[in-house]
Amino acid sequence: MAFSSAVPASKRLPVTVLTGYLGSGKTTLLNRILTHEHGLKVAVIVNEFGEVGIDNQLVIDVDEEIFEMNNGCICCTVRGDLIRIIGNLMKRRDRFDHLVIETTGLADPAPVIQTFFVDEDLKDELRLDAVVTLVDLKHILQHWEAEEVQEQLAFADVLLLNKSDLVTDDERLDIEQRVRAINPMARMLSTSNSNVPMDQILGVEAFELERALSLDPGFLVDEHEHEHDAAVGSIAFVEDRPMDLEKLGNWISDLVAERGPDLFRMKGIINLLGKDERYVFQAVHMLIDGDFDRPWKIDERRRTEFVIIGRNLDEEMLRAGFNSCVA
Amino acid sequence: MVVTPPLVDKRFSGELQQAITALSWSPSGEFLAIASAGGELLLLDFPAGCEELLRGNSDKSLSAIGFSRDSCFLMAVGQASCLLLWELGGSGIRPIPFDPIPLACGWIDQALWQPVGSLLAVGAGREVRLWDSSTRGWFPGCLDMAGTVQGLAWSADGMQLAASCHGELVIWKPFAKSEDEPLRIPTGSAGLVLAFSPTGDLLASGQMDRSLLLLPQFGQGRPWRFSGFPAKVRSLAWGQNKGVLAPPLAVAAAENVVIWEQRDASEQGWHANPLIWHQQRVQALSFAPGSNLLASASADGTVALWDGRGRLRQPLEGDGQGFQCLAWRGDGLHLAAGGDQGSWWLWPVAVPAREKQNRAAGFGFGQ
Repeated sequence: MAFSSAVPASKRLPVTVLTGYLGSGKTTLLNRILTHEHGLKVAVIVNEFGEVGIDNQLVIDVDEEIFEMNNGCICCTVRGDLIRIIGNLMKRRDRFDHLVIETTGLADPAPVIQTFFVDEDLKDELRLDAVVTLVDLKHILQHWEAEEVQEQLAFADVLLLNKSDLVTDDERLDIEQRVRAINPMARMLSTSNSNVPMDQILGVEAFELERALSLDPGFLVDEHEHEHDAAVGSIAFVEDRPMDLEKLGNWISDLVAERGPDLFRMKGIINLLGKDERYVFQAVHMLIDGDFDRPWKIDERRRTEFVIIGRNLDEEMLRAGFNSCVA
Repeated sequence: MVVTPPLVDKRFSGELQQAITALSWSPSGEFLAIASAGGELLLLDFPAGCEELLRGNSDKSLSAIGFSRDSCFLMAVGQASCLLLWELGGSGIRPIPFDPIPLACGWIDQALWQPVGSLLAVGAGREVRLWDSSTRGWFPGCLDMAGTVQGLAWSADGMQLAASCHGELVIWKPFAKSEDEPLRIPTGSAGLVLAFSPTGDLLASGQMDRSLLLLPQFGQGRPWRFSGFPAKVRSLAWGQNKGVLAPPLAVAAAENVVIWEQRDASEQGWHANPLIWHQQRVQALSFAPGSNLLASASADGTVALWDGRGRLRQPLEGDGQGFQCLAWRGDGLHLAAGGDQGSWWLWPVAVPAREKQNRAAGFGFGQ
């Protein structure tokens, strides 16, 4: 499907996308990535207004530039500057092991993600490792309604709840719950001073299908407090009856065609009728990727788990659509 | 039966530490400059039989290099966001470097000398600036673009400069009166590579949306748009003029090369002649000056030489490395190419008599 590159993932360079609202600690984290002894040669692409105070030949400034590929549809926007700069950078022979891309605090992460799946040059050279979003626990509630904040939370594979030393436990738990309601599938870590083990943010492989839902296997078990009034939220479905692949495929194709701009991320492990393998699936806006991964284990509960993160989600309509895919 | 002798039967080669990103011959034919993704810059001085590494491996990649029309200046731009210049005193004289001119606009990969005159156009972020070798300073006025400059081309007379970015193509006359606004043509995509026909008024633009735009009358006429390429159109080269019709235009997208020929002046007058041979992306195309012998360099590790009828005359091998760039010497008899592992090659080419057309008098290689 749309995501898959002809080049095996292991031959492509992993990319971490670092997002977070203004003042959330991205610069501190970038400095940690650049100076930490993790044994990786990391190239960092910072936006023009970045303030990484390190003189390093692997820090590259770019001017964020959105290319609309198809009549301004947000599902078809990419970052033109990344195509140009990474194209130049990839000519180097002894290049580097990992690429980190910082986005401005006000950026929607989708065009960056889409660039790595849509652009013909980059999709065979790079693989998206994870979207890491920094959350400023002290100030996020002041900006909670900002569209960028909600998008950055929604697209994350890893959420770093930063400045945990500046809030009480109750304040932190409240924010955790609110964040979980938007994004129930990201790995969540509390930190102060952007101090996080590097292996939690580099080498996550969140976009590899076989890892699609391995981040937090219990995420569907808890009943989440859905904030139905929130513009951005999530819906999770669990189904014990086996599903029909054709029906599911048709439903998802129609759904992204109609609602693509509002659907930020979808992930699912599907129990298909008559199949001994799990079918794993994920989507970013209109880009869809799905394949069989491994056989169900004997002691594993065969059931379908499906999460949708998006804006103005109509739970009733989505649930009806999902239920119609039962075989 | 007549046995066709090979076009190429010997070669010279050398190595830099990083992938070769650009090659450039001086118009005088005396010098060949070679730049790398490690920021190395090698200058070969053929009459003196010597070479000099003007810059060593620095991790700051160089992306574009070139000699001024009078062969008195060499420029280089790249990752360091500076304009680098050297003054050349001729063969056997050591080039004198200028202090780097900082531009603070991020990675620069577009810079091009005027084919006639003293100006150097530099794509500095979202503007095009002109450095003037006659005054050794910036030419007054610059061209503002809607986005980052992706491609640059001078018209053959050096009077018009085309620049492309996402969404528009701009044709600018830097010497026109200030009220003469640049011509801005919306394109709906990004022009990645631009080329004016060698003597005419046709501008070709290879687009990111897998199409080719051909704009007649320096952009004033109604454009032709050819779509359906398998990938981004990333390389263009014009051949030699044949009477009133446009010269052949070679276009590369993915591993495909197509030669477009104009058979009549009508709407349907353009015909495509596909050259199917390369197995991986074609990185560079160039017609030998003064002939219709086309060289195509591919990541598959070959440079192919095609005759004017689109027949493969001879493949040249790159010892297992993919090719990145090409440059013909002005005499059309020497072809240089750069590889993605740092090797460079130089081949003397015996251009077949049939392909020679109004070729300028020989330069006399290596005298």
